[in-house]
Amino acid sequence: MTGRWERLRSAWRRIEEFHQEWFDARWRHVLRREARTQQDTLRAMLLLQTLGVEDPASYETLDVIPYMVADLHEWHQRMGRETFGDAGVCC
Amino acid sequence: MPAAVVMVVVLGIFALGYRYYSAYLAKRVYALDPSFVTPAHTFRDGIDFVPTNKHIVFSHHFISVAGAAPIVGPAVAVFWGWGPALLWVVAGTVFAAGVHDFGALAVSVRHKAKSIGTLAGEVISARSRVLFLLILFFLLTMVNAVFAVVIGILLDGNPATVLPVLVTIPLAIGLGQIVYRRRTPALVPSIICLIVVYAFIPLGVAVPVSLDPLAGALGMSAQTLWVLLIFVYAFFASRLPVWMLLQPRDYVNQLQMVLALTVIFLGVVVGWDAIVAPVVNDVPAGSPPWFPLLFVTIACGAVSGFHSLVSSGTTSKQLDKETDARYVGYLASTGEGALALCSILACTAGVVATAGEWEGLYSDFATASDGAVGNFVGGVAGFAANLGVPTAVGTVFAALVVISFAATSMDTGVRLQRYIIQEIAEITGFRPLARNLTAATAVAVLIPLALALVPGNFAFGTLWQLFGTTNQLTAGLALSVIAVWVTKNSRNPIAVLVPLVFLVVMTTWALVVNLQGFVTSGDPMQMFLLAPLDVAIFVLAIWLIIEAAIALRKAFALRGTPQGRPSTEEAAGRDETQ
Repeated sequence: MTGRWERLRSAWRRIEEFHQEWFDARWRHVLRREARTQQDTLRAMLLLQTLGVEDPASYETLDVIPYMVADLHEWHQRMGRETFGDAGVCC
Repeated sequence: MPAAVVMVVVLGIFALGYRYYSAYLAKRVYALDPSFVTPAHTFRDGIDFVPTNKHIVFSHHFISVAGAAPIVGPAVAVFWGWGPALLWVVAGTVFAAGVHDFGALAVSVRHKAKSIGTLAGEVISARSRVLFLLILFFLLTMVNAVFAVVIGILLDGNPATVLPVLVTIPLAIGLGQIVYRRRTPALVPSIICLIVVYAFIPLGVAVPVSLDPLAGALGMSAQTLWVLLIFVYAFFASRLPVWMLLQPRDYVNQLQMVLALTVIFLGVVVGWDAIVAPVVNDVPAGSPPWFPLLFVTIACGAVSGFHSLVSSGTTSKQLDKETDARYVGYLASTGEGALALCSILACTAGVVATAGEWEGLYSDFATASDGAVGNFVGGVAGFAANLGVPTAVGTVFAALVVISFAATSMDTGVRLQRYIIQEIAEITGFRPLARNLTAATAVAVLIPLALALVPGNFAFGTLWQLFGTTNQLTAGLALSVIAVWVTKNSRNPIAVLVPLVFLVVMTTWALVVNLQGFVTSGDPMQMFLLAPLDVAIFVLAIWLIIEAAIALRKAFALRGTPQGRPSTEEAAGRDETQ
């Protein structure tokens, strides 16, 4: 009984995964680009904050800055700058 | 003749076309290579370039290319009889749409999945990119105007449809919230959405919503008020994030399309209705001639340039193997042909039971074109009745499907129009419009709105034909790109050249015929609005012919020379510059 139940659950999960792929695929690129634009805006805001520009949400965003630093290299390259500029920051 | 027999024969021809003709194209014309590394692998980024299961790519490609257009065109064109309409749908699908859709996909895959507009600029000439943008501008203006009118006609004529249509908007927003905010798998919520939409059909029948009192108070017709409201909706829908409304709504529509096709095919077989329309209709004197207007009246459903945008825009970035292009590109075009077939059968067999009743619906071109969408709805309701669905419910079901398709096409159309306007503004140096999303969206809404609200007694079918000409010109441009690529690679381009020449000749001829009609009509709107519009599209057609001829002449001259051979990167499926 348990084996049959497990098989059923596994089959249902496979159907759900296939369906999710179907649901996502057509608009995937638009959705991910929108998400990336939002992330880029946040990153730009955090970068400005680290450079001393006042940010009313700085208390809340302080925790996020290490994540921004971790992704900094990939981000500035995507934004069109091969090197970050400040020596020793990331490249 | 029984509609079921016609259906089986046509589907059989499509199957043969896929089995043999697409195999010939894949081997001899496009030379697909199973070992070619597709851009989905070369540039894999998880956003645009994602190798995807071919069945999923097929379903998305099919849903993207199918919509309200393959329904409306054939529903108008059966005015000339079901024979010419069906012949064009079958021949166009097998020998033109398949070649075009499949070819656009193949050529894009071989050029880093670039869009057909970019390829036109590279393969034909730099000027072709501007030509492409202008054709697209006219195409999208027409399509948005025409679909708004279609929705307006249906909502005004079927007040029972209003509630089920309106409920799809909050349902889609809810579905987006559940799937993207709560990270819930979409399967169960989307099925629940579909059930709720259909549960609203009896409610809509019980509580029909009419805008007549409000429209009367505002001093306009209910249809005009609906058109205005539809464009207000389109403005906001195209400005909202995609996940919030457009994507979930589009998905619910996909489910509706699958269900509608099932109902039509089953209804045709179970009911065994006879086609009551004449094979060739003896149309009244003074009617528009079927030759060449048939070939622009049925664009989607026979061959449509819009498909090349989908093939080269998104589908080519998702192909796992190059050989999948045949399955995705060619088979999806036969799927659209099948949708056009459904429309022909609904308007000639499902909608009425006798030839006399049919002649009443298609008594002249204006009556035929104004009532075309309603005839399709009535036909599908007739097929649904064969399955035991009450006619009132079946009518709302069919109207809901057409409205949903047209609304989604408009959502996407306005969004695309915004990009085109921004690009044209960028080229012309008009920065404020290029950089302001809201302003660009407003322009993308206001131009087709103005066209949709134009007063006058010209038939809806006339506007539809102008839309068809821009659609066919887009197809002509895409076929030119494909033909140049095939020729440069020293393969036989005849399979591409025949539909290219046919489409360009028929489109320019149709534009001349329409122009004569507009100029001699005596109606100011036709003389001073539609005639200049027709001339502008005609100029684009001539421009296209010149560009294509120059590019093909050069391509033939380069055949067999080192410059004419495929580049190393194209041959190896690798981009050496990466």
